[in-house]
Amino acid sequence: MTDQHNEKIERRQFLSRSVKAGISIAAAGVISAALYDKQGPKAAVVTESLVTLPDFSVPRQEGQTISIVKGPNRKATVARAIELLGGIERFVAKGDSVAIKPNVAFASSPLLGATTNPELVAEVVRLCYKAGAKKVIVTDNPINDPASCFTLSGIGKAAGGAGAVVVLPKPDHFRYTTLAGGKLIVNWPVFFEPLGKADKLIGIAPLKHHHRSGASMTMKNWYGLLGGRRNVFHQDINTIIAELAVLVKPTLVILDGTEVMVTNGPTGGSVSDLKRADTLIASSDMVAADSYGCTLLGLTASQLPYLAKAQIAGAGTTNYESLKPILADVR
Amino acid sequence: MDFVPSRKVRLESAVSVFLLAVLLLIALAVSIKQYDFDMGRFGMDAAASGPLPQILKTGAVQKPPFDFPLPAGFKKLSEIETYTAENLFEKIDGKASLYIESGFVKLFTQRFVSETEDAMWFELFLFDMAHIKNAFSVYSVQKRPDTEPFSAMEFAYTAGNALYFVHGRYYIELVGSLESAGLYGAMAELAGKLAARVNVGEVEKIPELALFPQEDLVAGSARLYLSNALGFDKLSDTFLCRYELGGETVSAFLSRRQSPKDARTTAENYYNFLIENGAVVKPTSDATLKTVNANVLDFYGTTEIVFAAGPFIAGIHEAKNQQLAEKLAARLIDRLSEAARMEK
Repeated sequence: MTDQHNEKIERRQFLSRSVKAGISIAAAGVISAALYDKQGPKAAVVTESLVTLPDFSVPRQEGQTISIVKGPNRKATVARAIELLGGIERFVAKGDSVAIKPNVAFASSPLLGATTNPELVAEVVRLCYKAGAKKVIVTDNPINDPASCFTLSGIGKAAGGAGAVVVLPKPDHFRYTTLAGGKLIVNWPVFFEPLGKADKLIGIAPLKHHHRSGASMTMKNWYGLLGGRRNVFHQDINTIIAELAVLVKPTLVILDGTEVMVTNGPTGGSVSDLKRADTLIASSDMVAADSYGCTLLGLTASQLPYLAKAQIAGAGTTNYESLKPILADVR
Repeated sequence: MDFVPSRKVRLESAVSVFLLAVLLLIALAVSIKQYDFDMGRFGMDAAASGPLPQILKTGAVQKPPFDFPLPAGFKKLSEIETYTAENLFEKIDGKASLYIESGFVKLFTQRFVSETEDAMWFELFLFDMAHIKNAFSVYSVQKRPDTEPFSAMEFAYTAGNALYFVHGRYYIELVGSLESAGLYGAMAELAGKLAARVNVGEVEKIPELALFPQEDLVAGSARLYLSNALGFDKLSDTFLCRYELGGETVSAFLSRRQSPKDARTTAENYYNFLIENGAVVKPTSDATLKTVNANVLDFYGTTEIVFAAGPFIAGIHEAKNQQLAEKLAARLIDRLSEAARMEK
């Protein structure tokens, strides 16, 4: 028996095998070079069609764009603030389906003021039904676990108790959108489904200091509509807030400055972070609402770059005084 | 004659098949992994589309460095959640950068609720900051005004519904759902038990705090700015303490640098920074200040003093009264000189 592996190979065979091996190595190299992606992974192409959030705004009424009401009782101040703008019927028609977007970002106690006050949410729900709304939903896409956020903030119970349907986010609620002319909101998932079915949209935000943006108010409240790893936008927080102000056209915004989180926002943690300002603002111009609201934090509109950006983009005016705010005091 | 493979040939074949199988597995793993990358690592453009998670999950459960003890009369309201720098924003949103820029490693959280009253609950936040200085920095820059010291620990206070403290490399927050004596008692009990379980060695000290003059010092007023201190981007690891002096509030600062030369360079750079931003040199007759060539400046109506003493850059920040500023600066110089002598 001959053991071929013990045979000595000839020079011709050696050269032939060496050439074949060389060709194999070279081919592998060429294929690898051809497949090498110098730019790294790219975003997957969104195959589903992009959506656009509906325009929820109502026609403007001269002299009734912003109201500022002083008082410690949120039920009284919000009712008065809306009344001064023409009444809830101006914003909610009979048979409307209304979406309310409070700030439910954290699973924290209402005592901390990091989330929208539950009694305020409940009162707005009641006002909507009073105007003849067919359905009122209360929804948000919190950073923390949504069920915990709605439970511990007290908003779930308060909204449900007032007759609203609390909608927690689910994956199929999100659709991709692109803001025309936007730099950041490009093929980005937004919390579309519950809002897309609504006729009206009301934002209710607590007035807070914010470590990154300076202040969190009605415009920043829309941040909760973003899906995905939205923290990447913290690097350009002013642009994203301004873009959100263009993307979302609400019916009405309510800014709660009854107790203002003046330090350690947006989470706070202690009642020592809060200061009573006993002020509530209602407006159909959220840039104006926030421009006034920041004064309660000791800031001016010029100190918050996103306000100027939003104004330039046409979302509203930082010169809230030009709108002749309607003032009232219900103390 | 039929070829009958030898044992050696069979072994080689088996090894070849094994290697090919390994290569196939690697190719398969690479193929799977390429569809599972973190978009956030590739910047905003890449993150702007693709299979992103719409709803973010809460922190994964991992074991904390030690057990969280239960206070008497309380039970767990939630399991332990763990957050890293990658997902800290899911828990604290816009405040995440404050921690991440200060050496953050991990956050462990858990909620506890009274066994008899559902509305009475609190949440424990245990931030592992890697080093006591980092922990002290996030503690001090967030410290609320009008607080009560929590006497059981060196760096601790209570503020209404919450209790905050530093223990070694950990910064700990206990945040209650309401202001109540019962809740405060439970949080204080947990704080004490936690502190007892974590052994803090002698190295876990902050020596700079002992370098500040003690006379007229407002207790608990020390702040540590790890970067961009006093608005100057080259000034890092800087302590600032508040004094009530002659009816005025005056703040003193100091920062240990790598060497006396480094301290002199940083002091000169900070001086130039102030001058470039509108500060004007003021004369001083204080003999102690002259020993370290301290610069006294008027900065839009307030007095700034800056000097280098040994490996330290130090001075006075935003004092309304020049005389009081110089008085405190002189005390600080004496204190630093004394410390320098002790070091030798």
